[in-house]
Amino acid sequence: MNKKIIFVLLIIAVLTISAFVVIKNRTDSEYLTTEIYSMNTVIQINISGKDKKDATDAVTQEINFLNQKFDDFSPQSDVSKINDNAGKNAVEVDNVTIEIISKALECYKETDGAFNISVAPLSKLWGFKGNELRVPLESEIKQTINLVNINDLIIEGNKVMLRKTGEAIDLGGIAKGYTLDKIKEILPKYNLKSAIINMGGNILTYGISNKGNWLIGIKNPREDGVVGKITIKGSKFISTSGDYEKYFIENGKRYCHIIDPSTGLPSDKIVSVTVVSDKGYLGDAFSTAFFVLGKEKSLELANKSGVEIIGFDKNLNPFFTDGIKNEVNIEKGG
Amino acid sequence: MKKGDKIIVSLLVLFVAFFIFERYVFSKSKADSVIIRSDGTIVKDIPLKDNGEYLIKSKEGELTFIIQSQEVKVIESTCPDKLCTKQGWISKQGESIICLPNRISITITGGNNVVDSTTY
Repeated sequence: MNKKIIFVLLIIAVLTISAFVVIKNRTDSEYLTTEIYSMNTVIQINISGKDKKDATDAVTQEINFLNQKFDDFSPQSDVSKINDNAGKNAVEVDNVTIEIISKALECYKETDGAFNISVAPLSKLWGFKGNELRVPLESEIKQTINLVNINDLIIEGNKVMLRKTGEAIDLGGIAKGYTLDKIKEILPKYNLKSAIINMGGNILTYGISNKGNWLIGIKNPREDGVVGKITIKGSKFISTSGDYEKYFIENGKRYCHIIDPSTGLPSDKIVSVTVVSDKGYLGDAFSTAFFVLGKEKSLELANKSGVEIIGFDKNLNPFFTDGIKNEVNIEKGG
Repeated sequence: MKKGDKIIVSLLVLFVAFFIFERYVFSKSKADSVIIRSDGTIVKDIPLKDNGEYLIKSKEGELTFIIQSQEVKVIESTCPDKLCTKQGWISKQGESIICLPNRISITITGGNNVVDSTTY
């Protein structure tokens, strides 16, 4: 009789404990969603797992730290110091700034100059740096294009200098992807289930989603809502460049914020291109380069560099690399 | 059955009921709602069926949005670029209107058949 009671109590204890474990797991696997404003955009951090709170704090801290170094709208940033001292002094900068510039130079080489951080004077001329948006005169463009020269960016140790006054760099096309790389290095230090972080359209997926695969929407370049969906397995980076985020229309023509460094004019070969890659900085920089290069050259370069792309031409017809064809679902009418 | 046996059986039934209930509650999709964040914090969670006009304030400014027949639109904002008012109606789960200068976001959530995030 006594044995029977002990046995029953044991079963009840086991059941009670498993009930608690089930509840705890449910709570842990729910996403902790945090929204912060940094890098001149909105950032959504969704993390699930036991350490989600600590991981979110660490991620937020990292974003704010990198933003302090890279934000060209803040006069104290490394980038502003480099730009303000163009043609004058070499400026000592943080290791992360040296690293991101080196990666930007690597992307410049691999894209034959289509991705170029020294394009900033042209962006400013067209008004995309907070000044008045306008179509400049041809002579102004010709003059300004002389200030776009990546070889004038000199790095020695931790010191950086731009050779001529008026030259400037802008890390806007690589900083978000690079930051996501840094976040991906931080996340494994915590006991987490999965995470998805969206930095102004640049996404890091980490681990296995609560539903299995991740489902990522691609913004419709001409209407509200999404134009297609990509199924992503595990940890990846997804970046998009398009002509619909920052642009202006004059005399019926659309001028977007991505300037072709070779012509000095806003790129208009395609309307949007999304890159899926294993490196955040590369996906970010290459999406800009692909937008400048257009369909054929992009597909060629994507195949060469082992990234997958989905793009939309001017008629909103999609084009893909072979590796992602079966993972993409284009919405009707898209 | 003895009294003790009855207790055991009812306890077991209770546990089984708990596990079934737990699965049911968590797998059920939540009703569509509109989540509003101001300066990164959730300040309002309104069912999408609640038609009306709502004023949201943040440290930077304020905006007014309306919910009408399951659709959401920002109609007024103190921000300089007015991109939020130009965006027009949103109605699908996962869609949002973000006012960067005011640091206010309005997102439609709910359902199961929705993307995890959108690239742009």
